[in-house]
Amino acid sequence: MSEPAEQETIVVIDDDYAMRLSCRKILSKMGFRVEAFEDGGQGLEGVTKLKPSLVLVDLKMPGISGMEVVTRIHEVRPEIVLVVITGYPTIDTAVGAMKCGAYDFLPKPFSPDELRLIVNRGLEHRRLSLEMRRSEMERALLKRRFITFVSHQLQTPLVAIHQYLDVLKHLDNTESATAKRQEWLERCLKRTDELQAIIKDWLSLARIEGESFSRQWIKVDLQRIIADILRTYEEMAATNAVSLESRIPENTYFVRGDRDCLSVVFDNLIVNAIKYNKPGGKVTVSGEDLGGEVAIAVADTGVGIPEKYHPLLFEEFFRVEGEGDKKTPGTGLGLSICRRLVSEMGGSISVDSEVNVGSTFRVRLLEYRAPAEEEEKKGSSG
Amino acid sequence: MTSEAEKILIVDDDRDFVEALSSFLEAHHYVVLKAHDGREGLRLAKLERPDLIIMDIIMNERTEGFFTVQEIRRTVELKTVPIFVLSSLYSQVTDFGIPPDSSWLAHDEFLPKPVNMPELLEKIQRRMEERHRNLETAVGRKAAT
Repeated sequence: MSEPAEQETIVVIDDDYAMRLSCRKILSKMGFRVEAFEDGGQGLEGVTKLKPSLVLVDLKMPGISGMEVVTRIHEVRPEIVLVVITGYPTIDTAVGAMKCGAYDFLPKPFSPDELRLIVNRGLEHRRLSLEMRRSEMERALLKRRFITFVSHQLQTPLVAIHQYLDVLKHLDNTESATAKRQEWLERCLKRTDELQAIIKDWLSLARIEGESFSRQWIKVDLQRIIADILRTYEEMAATNAVSLESRIPENTYFVRGDRDCLSVVFDNLIVNAIKYNKPGGKVTVSGEDLGGEVAIAVADTGVGIPEKYHPLLFEEFFRVEGEGDKKTPGTGLGLSICRRLVSEMGGSISVDSEVNVGSTFRVRLLEYRAPAEEEEKKGSSG
Repeated sequence: MTSEAEKILIVDDDRDFVEALSSFLEAHHYVVLKAHDGREGLRLAKLERPDLIIMDIIMNERTEGFFTVQEIRRTVELKTVPIFVLSSLYSQVTDFGIPPDSSWLAHDEFLPKPVNMPELLEKIQRRMEERHRNLETAVGRKAAT
């Protein structure tokens, strides 16, 4: 978008008429709105009214001194860039002005080019610092929202459990009440499972974020990790009428990583592949040696993910909305955890998916190379 | 006493919560209508004209409830139906950009989750009595003229 930017205002405060005139001429030509004042008092008033982006202040003026003007403006509006004009450019005056909040100084006499250069540099500095402040505020807000969302996620199952227990307390002993009691207790148990899953995810996320996260990467055989996970979910897969297959042979794919982290990653991907599959569907885990890297693909033949969601998939709390009753329980944290863990280990994760055909999540990890091997190589080549 | 049982509409995306709350209200002889998102809630409200609506604020990770309440109020027949909104984030709704004490919010009560059931029941009963009184005076006034 090329909307015309709002005209920026520059204020010149100088008791020298010729100086005000030439500054006005040069800066107006650059497209700025320029207002000039002949002493500190009027200058301060003008700044309050005009809210300029930049102020040029002569240090040596009758009445309120330039240094005083700089100090006062900086106190009230630190986002205004202050440039000091001085006829006696000594280190002391420069340092003094900077201490009071000036951004830069311009020694007299100066050429139009010097003025343009310093004004442009000052305004660029202002843009950058305003931008930085904005993104800092955004980050703080995001963090607050994140915490709010997490507490809502934790509270939702707790509320349901609480409400069930509260009603259960008042149930009588009729036959229909007994049936309900049994059903509700089952639901309560399910919701505690959900709560545990959220806490587990949340903890692993916090652990990745925490500074204490420093691990020694070791040699891990992926075959064992994936076989263990598939065994854990055999029953779940059978319930969903989904078949599981691993095409990862033993002693083939060794990566540099952490066993727990890798388990969390493939656990998440395999559970998703089962959950978002169709009855009669398949989950296939396969590997590929990319030379220096290993790619592991977890492919399903499930519902797939519309392409518009692909860029958001690995974001925290992002969930592809199911239709009506098709909602699948989940925390919305799983894939963001995967991405973080994989990138901690120096790898990457990507997705390929087509609606109603299936999704393939591909994890690229660094191949493990033993220190001894490296030594050997060095030895043989040297 | 009215001949027909009073209808309460519950709108909440947590099916377990709806199940527990509705069985409590049904035990107290209310007819309960259930919806699990804002759109369905709005549809049922227009169709069934409930005597009271209980609405969750955060549904599907958005503050869907607030906007549904606004939509409900746009329907002439539903301008005065008592609406109770619920949230487990009672004190944190400002994080969603909504001040909890805003006068533009068109609900009647704001209750924290989990709901204190006897308290909720009392509030519902009070609202229902008020509604009857208002209706009776309206009818009385009509008869007098």
